[in-house]
Amino acid sequence: MRITILNSPQSITKMFTKPPKLRIRTPSSTTVEFTLSNAPPPTLPHTLLTHFTSLLRLILAATTLLLLLTKFQPPPYSSSIHPLIHPILATFSRFSTSLQWRHLLPASAVLLYVLLFIGGYTEESLVVIRDLGVQITTKTGWSTRSRFIPTERVSDMWICEGFRGFEVRFYLAVVVEGEEGLVVVFPTLLPGRRVLELVWRGARRCLHEPKHIGDGVER
Amino acid sequence: MRPLSVIPIYSYLLFHLLAPNTQPRLKLTTKKRLLAILVFIAGYITARFSLITQAVELAYFAWDNGVVGRATKGFLILSLFFFLFFIPIERIASRETSLVSTQSRRASSSVGAGAFTNHCAATMASGNENGLMRIFWPLDFPRRSEPGVLVGWRNSEHDVFVVDVLNGVDSRRIGRDLTSTNLYRKSPHSATRLFELCGQSALHVLGNVNEPAASAQKFGPSHIYAYTQKSSRYPRIHCPPSSGIAIQVILFERPHPHRMQYLSLRPISLALEDRAEDMEGEADETGERLRREELVQKLRLHSVKRPQPTEKERSLQMIVDQVNCSHEMRVLLKENISLLIGRRNRRALSVSERVVEGATGLWKGFLDALMRAVWVMWPLVTNCFVVLIVVWRLVAETILKVLEWRLRPELAALKDISATAQQFDIRLQQFCYWPIQYVTLRRRKKDWESVTSSHPDYIRFYNSLWLVANDVIIGIALGSYIIENAHIVAHQIDSHLHAYTVEGMKGMISWLMNLPGGLKLNQELGSFLGDLFLWVIDYWADTMTSIRPHLPRVIYAIGFSSFAGASMPIALFSDLLSILTLHIYSFYIASARIYNWQLSIIISLFHLFRGKKRNVLRNRIDSCDYDLDQLLIGTILFTLLIFLLPTVLVFYLTFASARMAIIMLKATLETLLACLNHFPLFALMLRVKDSKRLPGGIRFELKNTRAIVAAFDNSDTAPSISYIHLKSTPLPFRAMFHQYFQLGQRIRGHYVSPHVILCLMTGQSVPPIHRRNLYSMQYSMLPTKRAGPWELWGRLVEGK
Repeated sequence: MRITILNSPQSITKMFTKPPKLRIRTPSSTTVEFTLSNAPPPTLPHTLLTHFTSLLRLILAATTLLLLLTKFQPPPYSSSIHPLIHPILATFSRFSTSLQWRHLLPASAVLLYVLLFIGGYTEESLVVIRDLGVQITTKTGWSTRSRFIPTERVSDMWICEGFRGFEVRFYLAVVVEGEEGLVVVFPTLLPGRRVLELVWRGARRCLHEPKHIGDGVER
Repeated sequence: MRPLSVIPIYSYLLFHLLAPNTQPRLKLTTKKRLLAILVFIAGYITARFSLITQAVELAYFAWDNGVVGRATKGFLILSLFFFLFFIPIERIASRETSLVSTQSRRASSSVGAGAFTNHCAATMASGNENGLMRIFWPLDFPRRSEPGVLVGWRNSEHDVFVVDVLNGVDSRRIGRDLTSTNLYRKSPHSATRLFELCGQSALHVLGNVNEPAASAQKFGPSHIYAYTQKSSRYPRIHCPPSSGIAIQVILFERPHPHRMQYLSLRPISLALEDRAEDMEGEADETGERLRREELVQKLRLHSVKRPQPTEKERSLQMIVDQVNCSHEMRVLLKENISLLIGRRNRRALSVSERVVEGATGLWKGFLDALMRAVWVMWPLVTNCFVVLIVVWRLVAETILKVLEWRLRPELAALKDISATAQQFDIRLQQFCYWPIQYVTLRRRKKDWESVTSSHPDYIRFYNSLWLVANDVIIGIALGSYIIENAHIVAHQIDSHLHAYTVEGMKGMISWLMNLPGGLKLNQELGSFLGDLFLWVIDYWADTMTSIRPHLPRVIYAIGFSSFAGASMPIALFSDLLSILTLHIYSFYIASARIYNWQLSIIISLFHLFRGKKRNVLRNRIDSCDYDLDQLLIGTILFTLLIFLLPTVLVFYLTFASARMAIIMLKATLETLLACLNHFPLFALMLRVKDSKRLPGGIRFELKNTRAIVAAFDNSDTAPSISYIHLKSTPLPFRAMFHQYFQLGQRIRGHYVSPHVILCLMTGQSVPPIHRRNLYSMQYSMLPTKRAGPWELWGRLVEGK
């Protein structure tokens, strides 16, 4: 059976980021969380850098918005505005009047899109809780999407190959009963086979209650 | 826009920003109603005296006098003080208290160590391999270290659901009381119904909280021991690792049923159920669906046999119901337990208390008399109202019958032709559906608030009410503008129509008649066709001049119609546009027919030219022996028609593009109508205000066990506990606009298909998209089969 995974927009930016790292958390033998993230480890300099870049992004986005605003309505040249802010506004206004709408509008739209939506780290996780179910979460930038599948409806989990653009990738998928198609685990990061096997083994071991002692599922 | 027309909109918006807040039940309590009225008045005053402008001026004034700078300085200094002194002191204090408490607990645990090890040995010997114990724990318990009794549901031996902690009661006595029914004597609705919802027959005592000698006890799933502490939100479950049982503590916040919050495994459906299925069916989608079904079948064959789902796995839906009911269950339990305890210490009232009671009683008596007078009148008023509704329903039924009437079954009904008739149809159907929805929602009051099945109905009902109200408000603003400026609007419309559809067309045709863009067309044919079209345009322009004096009156009428909602003038304008551009439509039909004929003649003559012909019976091309004169004439005609084709093509292209432009304009108007009739406004507002009312599923979050356990400081044991936080996922925005996306996809699939483009190229008539697909979105909030007047009567009478 050929199953094609759609190309995600993250694939372009993926070239510039590091390969994702797997983290496993098992508070007890019945619960396990596999987190795959391309963010650097949370050390202090990295955290500071991340916060700094996101602040810079926000400032740049605000600047772009201000530019558009001053173009739309030039500020009044009176002393009613604070003397500290007025020269800044005047500079903005001078700059924006020198530009034309047809250049400014598309450029600022592209800039805002890049600043607010592109980049950032992707974190995807798979939580397996025995007797409850499987949860797949994808965190990119601002948005978090999660999908919970009760154990009752999980009919199988498997590793499969699929076409993605011009490459063939392995992926881990959950087969959901009464639903067409598969639910792909780690759909944007798509780790290699070694990682997938590790996750698959861990998830299978955790998902179902061992019926007999020593039937191979027991740890 | 005039300021007067802005006021109602503005205050109305303010009013409705609070409206979802104030309407958790259908009947507003007086306090909330008062609040709504106050907000309305506040909105009106704000608009009337331009308070916003004055506030902005005040802000400017404050800025000039350096108020902001000083305030910021003060804030910075205070927060610095807070961070430097208060937080460290608070941390130190909390650490000290926790140290003291753990020391005392250690002392007590060392006492019972002997018994504990005995128990461990016993469990190990018996080889108890029970694996997993699940505890559902609500997060809103007060953080105290007082001892208490855990009461809740026992879904199975290893699956318990905590409903409440009862302080100051004896666990054995409460266990006896829970099984008897007289504990639930004081309840607003039937208590058995609540038990039914939860899928259990009785509450049980599950264990103890903060029992001093708990660690001496042996661990058993039938009676658990937990600790709570001031420094932690989470409970600590007493479970020695040697017991061989892993524990999952699933924490949840109780959804508040009065605020209509609830958890759901499936996303809430904003469209009606039978409609949702109806949307799926389309002819060219069925093939795709069959292919998918086959794939799913293969998928099923691929899986190895999976183990049967255990009882715990199957009970998820029941647990979600228990979570939804847990708030009301707790309230019921609290009230009755306090009655049980309070029965003993009731004493007589003192003199001063009697005086106060007498004084309040007087006022209460007066209010009661007033209420009684209203209650006498009440049935009369409601009966009149019911009769009014049924009469109105009968009128609506006749109008709907007229709108749906077809001369012959295959012909189009009135509502399929005209946008106005369709708008009427939608509004009337909504009016017919509202009483039924209202009666359904009224029935909700007779049951527990935890019953969540009617919540989507509630959202749908208020969404459609709000959309209509919005529509009317916008319509009033639009209508007052149109009525006041009827002449200007009429003149504008007339001049634009004249400039584009008459003068523009004329200019275009005369340009085509003599060498357009240096292209050498056939002069004679071009002038013939052009003259033909010009005559018709002239005749049309004459007719328009005779209509022109009446146009302001028509516009005036449209303006008046907009008091019934802004969608009405838009629909009317759409119809007016199709009437006033009738000539372009006929030109398009005529030129398309000519072009198509010529093309088909050219194709058959081409076959003749090759010495072949089309066999209609076999639907193929056969060889054929033509005579010489046949061949000669055919070839000459073929050449002639080939040379004449560009001239006809040019005319066809002109009219086809004009027709496309009009269709685009009408599509824009239709989109506007769809937004006015079917925007998920109420749902969007709820999503912003309280996303728990729009559940899109559940999700789990793994907590850090080590950090939680460290708060209790039992570092000598490494517990096999996982803390999982159960949360509700709000409905994603994409799901709210799902139908819009579906509609867009369908239109794109229809009009950008190769078949339609081929039709357009060859001048055949383009097959229109099926109306059911185009307008299914607007009808998606209405049932497919509306209830008749008698059914409505029956429901209204029964509803009382």
